Amino acid sequence: MSKRGPRTPAQAGGHETTGSRPFSFFRAGARNDGSAREKPILVLEDVYKYFDRDRPVLRGANLTIERGEFVFITGPSGAGKSTMLQLIYRKLMVDDGRILFCGRDIARLTGDSVPYLRRNLGIVFQDFKVVPHWTVAENVAVPLEILSMPQKVVRSRVAEALERVGLAGRGNDRTAVLSGGEQQRVAVARAIVTEPALVLADEPTGNLDPQLAIDILTLFEEINESGITVVFATHDHSLLEARPHRLVVIDEGRVFEARSGLQDWQGSGAVRRPEPTAAPVHVHTRGARIDADPTDVVQLHRVAG
Amino acid sequence: MDLHTAFLRARRGFREDAKLYAVAVSSLAVAFLCLATALLAITNLSAMAERWSRSGRMTIYVRDGAPDVDVQALRTTLAELPEVSSATTLSAAEAREQFVRDANVGGELAGLPADAFPASIEVTLRTGVTAARADEIAARVGHVAAVEGVETYRAFFQKLESLVLTGRTTAGIVAVLVLICVLAIVGNTIRLAVAGRRDEIEVLKLCGATDSFVRGPFLVEGALQGFTASLVAVVFLGVCYALLHAQLDGTIAALTGVRAAFLNPAVVVTLVLGGGVAGVVASAASLRRYLTV
Repeated sequence: MSKRGPRTPAQAGGHETTGSRPFSFFRAGARNDGSAREKPILVLEDVYKYFDRDRPVLRGANLTIERGEFVFITGPSGAGKSTMLQLIYRKLMVDDGRILFCGRDIARLTGDSVPYLRRNLGIVFQDFKVVPHWTVAENVAVPLEILSMPQKVVRSRVAEALERVGLAGRGNDRTAVLSGGEQQRVAVARAIVTEPALVLADEPTGNLDPQLAIDILTLFEEINESGITVVFATHDHSLLEARPHRLVVIDEGRVFEARSGLQDWQGSGAVRRPEPTAAPVHVHTRGARIDADPTDVVQLHRVAG
Repeated sequence: MDLHTAFLRARRGFREDAKLYAVAVSSLAVAFLCLATALLAITNLSAMAERWSRSGRMTIYVRDGAPDVDVQALRTTLAELPEVSSATTLSAAEAREQFVRDANVGGELAGLPADAFPASIEVTLRTGVTAARADEIAARVGHVAAVEGVETYRAFFQKLESLVLTGRTTAGIVAVLVLICVLAIVGNTIRLAVAGRRDEIEVLKLCGATDSFVRGPFLVEGALQGFTASLVAVVFLGVCYALLHAQLDGTIAALTGVRAAFLNPAVVVTLVLGGGVAGVVASAASLRRYLTV
């Protein structure tokens, strides 16, 4: 009756590195596609998403993310950051275009296959989405239970994940008694416990104070150093300033890309835009303003105060 | 769906919603108790009907003071009929003794004089004798001078059959009502549980849980509710039966001619397992309606 897909060695309790993960996810019995390892982990091709026919949330979004990258996605509230992530983990469906995860078009997945896609993803949210009346260990163990791993393996993998996020020995604590930062660490541990190919973080620091936000960002960077690709959506400019990672800006449904983070941007100035827009765009975020020139450049300026 | 994981998660669900499930199980147990009681009544009424239908008997009451020669001649004549299996005379004293023995009453009734019991000829008819032929024999025997009256038990049997039929219909209606109760109670309990665990379900789905993985524990919880409730009902009825049996069995035997019996083990197993199955069905129906995953 189980519809589980074939387990990856890492899922089965091994410690294979994420880089060689076979990505056999879509359905039970699906063939392992060896060429998937050679392809970018995530490609958005001319993606459109409409909630209102006149105002698409994403209009022709193009983006390629290679394995092992750490990518910031930023933009003002309502720009489409969360929408983009929801399209990737198939909470939403694209209206046009393609999203390729390891070379496979996830928009074409049937509803029954979506869980197998998500087993290769770790997702972290602004509101943590932990179950408060469960213990820390029970929360972190969820993805492993879904994979029907033996309890012995579950215990060891949970302990390992908790150690990685700095919550070693807290497994028996009720999650409700933890602080916000600790609850987010639980969510991160749950996201990485299966050693997924890709971690999607949707404003994971939105409910945390600045110091905790930096701590959580550092945690994601450590996760990224282990080979896991991280897509980190945030509108918190202090984080963008703090780390020189690749930066993708979403504004009015369009995606603008820089090769590196905010610091480099301020030095070099601009990035090519796929299509010019009629008017300049001013994106206000905490600590900075992003000006998109109507010709083809995006410039970022510090905002006084 | 991994059954072991489903059971583990269902156990967690029971732990979290213990009060809700306690109320649901107790409500269901009352419903199952009604059904089990109806089945118990049907079991005993059917036993009576079986007993009386199988007997094919006739009692010929002998007039007081009838000469023994006439009585013996009548008995011999009856015994020679091809429809008659046996014909035995029963004196007043023997009739009294048989009553005291069968009825197991003792006390004051055991002290009744033998005169209170008329002498009789007990006739057992062969299998396959039609009711019309039995009535014909009874009518002919009734004209004999030594005969006070003839009892064919047909009217009693017909009443009993009618009673059993009514009882079976009632039990069927009760079973349908119990099924509706199970669907409603288990369904609503699962609905409340789903509403209470909305966050948990969302987390599961985001972590890659299939629909069957999400639904599994709820189905297990529904099955356990139905199973536990029907088991509680059967055990409760069994205890009540054991307590009352010792006191009432003799009286019932005296009145009906059969001893009271508890539910057949096969009926008990069917009832308990049926409770579990009904719980699963009710849970599945509720999930289909209220769980959008």
